[in-house]
Amino acid sequence: MADDKTDVWQGTLALMILKTLETLGPLHGYGVARRIEQTSGDRLSVNYGTIYPALLKLEQEGCIASDWGVSENNRRAKFYRLTRAGRRQVEQETREWERTTAILARFLAPGEGS
Amino acid sequence: MKPLRAWTARLRDTLRPSRREREMADEFASHLALHVDDNIRAGMSPAEARRQALLKFGPMEAVKDAYRDRARFALAGRIGQDLRFALRLLRRAPAFSLAAIVTIALAIGVNAAMFSVLNAAALQPLRLPEAARLTRVSIGIDGPVRRGVSGVASMLALPEYETVAAEAHAFESVMAYAPFQPVTLGGIEPRPVLATLASCTYFEVLRVRPALGRALAPADCRPGADAQVAVLSDALWRSAFAADPAVVGRAVTLNRIPFTVIGVSPPGFTGTEVVAEDLVVALPAQPALERERDLLRAADVSWLMVIGRLRPDATLAQARRDLALTAGRLTAAAPAGRIIRLDAATATLSSLPEARRLVLAIGTVVLTAVALVLLIACANIANLLLARAVTRRREIAVRMALGAGRTRLIQQLLTESLLLAGIGGICGVAVGSWASRVVVAFVIARLPPGVWPLIFEPRADIRVGLYAAALTTLTGLAFGLAPALQSTRRDLAADFRDGSGAGARGGRLRGMLVSLQVAVCLVLLLSAGLLTRGLYRAQTLDPGLAMDGVSVVSYDLPGAGYTLPAAAAFQRQTIERLAALPGVRAVAQSSAAPLSTQHAETRFDLGEGRSRYLEFSVVSPGYFDVLHIPIVRGRTFTAAETQSEGAAIVTESTARRLWPGADPLAQSLVLDKVPRPIVGVVRDAQVSRLGFSDDTYVFLPAGPDSQQRLQLLVAGTGPVPGAAAIRAAVSAGDPQLATTVAGLSENLEQWRAPSRLVASLSSALAALALILACTGVFGTVAYAVSRRVREIGIRVALGAGRADVLRLILRQGMRPVLIGIGLGLAGAAATSTLFSSMLFGLSPYDPLAFIAVPAALTGVALLAGYVPARRALRVAPTEALKAE
Repeated sequence: MADDKTDVWQGTLALMILKTLETLGPLHGYGVARRIEQTSGDRLSVNYGTIYPALLKLEQEGCIASDWGVSENNRRAKFYRLTRAGRRQVEQETREWERTTAILARFLAPGEGS
Repeated sequence: MKPLRAWTARLRDTLRPSRREREMADEFASHLALHVDDNIRAGMSPAEARRQALLKFGPMEAVKDAYRDRARFALAGRIGQDLRFALRLLRRAPAFSLAAIVTIALAIGVNAAMFSVLNAAALQPLRLPEAARLTRVSIGIDGPVRRGVSGVASMLALPEYETVAAEAHAFESVMAYAPFQPVTLGGIEPRPVLATLASCTYFEVLRVRPALGRALAPADCRPGADAQVAVLSDALWRSAFAADPAVVGRAVTLNRIPFTVIGVSPPGFTGTEVVAEDLVVALPAQPALERERDLLRAADVSWLMVIGRLRPDATLAQARRDLALTAGRLTAAAPAGRIIRLDAATATLSSLPEARRLVLAIGTVVLTAVALVLLIACANIANLLLARAVTRRREIAVRMALGAGRTRLIQQLLTESLLLAGIGGICGVAVGSWASRVVVAFVIARLPPGVWPLIFEPRADIRVGLYAAALTTLTGLAFGLAPALQSTRRDLAADFRDGSGAGARGGRLRGMLVSLQVAVCLVLLLSAGLLTRGLYRAQTLDPGLAMDGVSVVSYDLPGAGYTLPAAAAFQRQTIERLAALPGVRAVAQSSAAPLSTQHAETRFDLGEGRSRYLEFSVVSPGYFDVLHIPIVRGRTFTAAETQSEGAAIVTESTARRLWPGADPLAQSLVLDKVPRPIVGVVRDAQVSRLGFSDDTYVFLPAGPDSQQRLQLLVAGTGPVPGAAAIRAAVSAGDPQLATTVAGLSENLEQWRAPSRLVASLSSALAALALILACTGVFGTVAYAVSRRVREIGIRVALGAGRADVLRLILRQGMRPVLIGIGLGLAGAAATSTLFSSMLFGLSPYDPLAFIAVPAALTGVALLAGYVPARRALRVAPTEALKAE
């Protein structure tokens, strides 16, 4: 198993989590995983469990915070929400991501460029 | 910022993993519950809903591991895991664990004990307030001009100390002192005490406040001041003055000079040296106390130790720079060609260069010896671990097959050995602190009589702790690394297939370890054996002279102010009074009692340009009669010869060596240009060294010039009169003279004590080495048997006799033992000459010891090998073939 592949996945996964929380507000891990799968049009099919180390990392870095609460169907669950640092992080990473994809798009588009 | 925050979060979870663990379990359970709810809502059966949720979640243990690795520092988590696993393993093999831990504890304990003794002698600051700032100043002098030394060469002369005190700005105060001055404290019963001559800054520098009265003050040392003042030690105050609170201001006499007691030191203060001082007197009192010489006026004699107290803001380096400048100025003022160096070192019990060199030399030998014991212990445990690795080979092979990395496995195995070493090391420190105290007390209790009692008590400190910790880690790695590497090295398939993997590789290493153990053990055992034989000899030896029934009477006449004529008169009267005592057969004078340490040596001219250093003493005519030394040729000194001193008597061996084949009575020895004809030859007697009757020795007549320094030898007809009667006879002539009366045979103890001491210590070490070496042999043979179960089974199945099998196994086990014995014999032969002086004439290659000890060791090793080898015989062929 190559580590760099995981790193890319970890990086994009982090951004997806942050974006999800920005859009939907406080949400539990299951909800985040569900939402990512749905948003990707079920094209991204990963084990839900992998979301938790990523959530933990974001929490350790202070981008998100968590509290135990009660879900819509009355289950105890841990809810994650974006912190102020997390909001800045989303903006910054979104900008970076857009720049990267724009550059990559130029490379990948045939016949264009200088 | 972000990484730091993440780092602290991880650190928190690393230190308290249980909270995070619970949190994780709760969160995952809640995740699954939510998912199951959704699945049921989508129409699945509860069982199916749960199955799907678990499937979607992914492999639970892997996710948990990934989560844990994220939560804590991965390495710390794994170390914890390894430690728990290692602890379980240790508990599962209690006999092995106990054996290993005891071995390590003993070995580390011996090492820590020796280190803490050396630490106390050479590294720890003195036990005084803020002692780390006390700095000893020493002098080094190079050049053609020799200078006088009273003490050791690195001591300073008074003007040098005064220059240092005036110029060294890094010190807030400096003091000089000359310890160990034997003086006589007058009183109803005069007693010898040890005085320290000290500059008047002594107590200020040491920060010692007297318990009574005052300390020495600068005014006491000023010219014209009454310098005859003394500060008593607490011990002397209690023993000689009955702890009289009104002692301050009282007059006492020291060497018959009146002194005034100005204070009493606090309890526990014994000075700065290993021998406790009884009192402190001001430096200017030196010429009065010693009478014969004035060191205050001697500009070029080494006699003062110097200690300065660093200013709180000054460093040792600063003090050294100051001293270098002062040394430069002293060199400029010194005679041409002389170079003076000054050095500073934190004051310890041995911070003078001479003492440091001695402690370093002894320390190297002792630490090497105990390190060898530790090495043996490591070899043993490595052996045991290798033997155990056989039984764990399957476990390791399975784990490797399941994908465990080799590094990870080595890490696990090393954790196990470090855990063992750690437990052993902790026990070892406890053993060590106990052992160091026991050894020191043992040594102090067995010092030869006449040696002042030592104040020396090792205590553990951070240095000892660090030393033990470093040794423990090294030990753990030393005995763990080879087995760990070896047991993870071999290829998997072979291990699943059968039990006989790599053998020869480790076999040679193990053999070498055993050889080494046996060699070291033999050297120690042989030394102990030789010393014990020597000791027995010393106790049964006939010294060639009468020791029993002879008393030695000694006193310090020059110290008591006797001039030569007064001393001669006093000696004559005392001899008369003693001879008149009932039961006294004869009284003689001698400058050195037989087998004492006072024998002098000087160069005699033999004529024809030949000269030779010979030991000698000055004796009265009755000496040979008192000691029952037969005169074989010629006669003893005449009264006229004791006046002219123009005669000499030699022993038979001396005559044989100096004038082989010639008539000794026709010869003469020349000393101080005075010819001394040989007037008699006496039978060889062990006058100066026990056990060496053929030493050369010369007797010169005791003339009027030597009367100040003569001792009396009193021989009784039956049992000699008691010390009290003798002392009474002496004090009839001078009640204030401190007199020592001792049996001559007590001098024998002086010779036996060191040899008894070294014999006991080396026996203890040898016993430890023997136990370890036997465990080593046991381990190798046991290992060999376990490796060859199959082969033995086949041999027995094919009809090999039990004796054949036993011989086969033992022969292999004994080979390294025999190699080790060979090496050990060579080592012992090389080292035994080192202590030939403690063997009392016994050859350092004493055949009895050199045959009996190796034979006994071989026998013990054979037994150690036989016990596990017997197991091979019990192996049933069918079982052996099934094994593994």
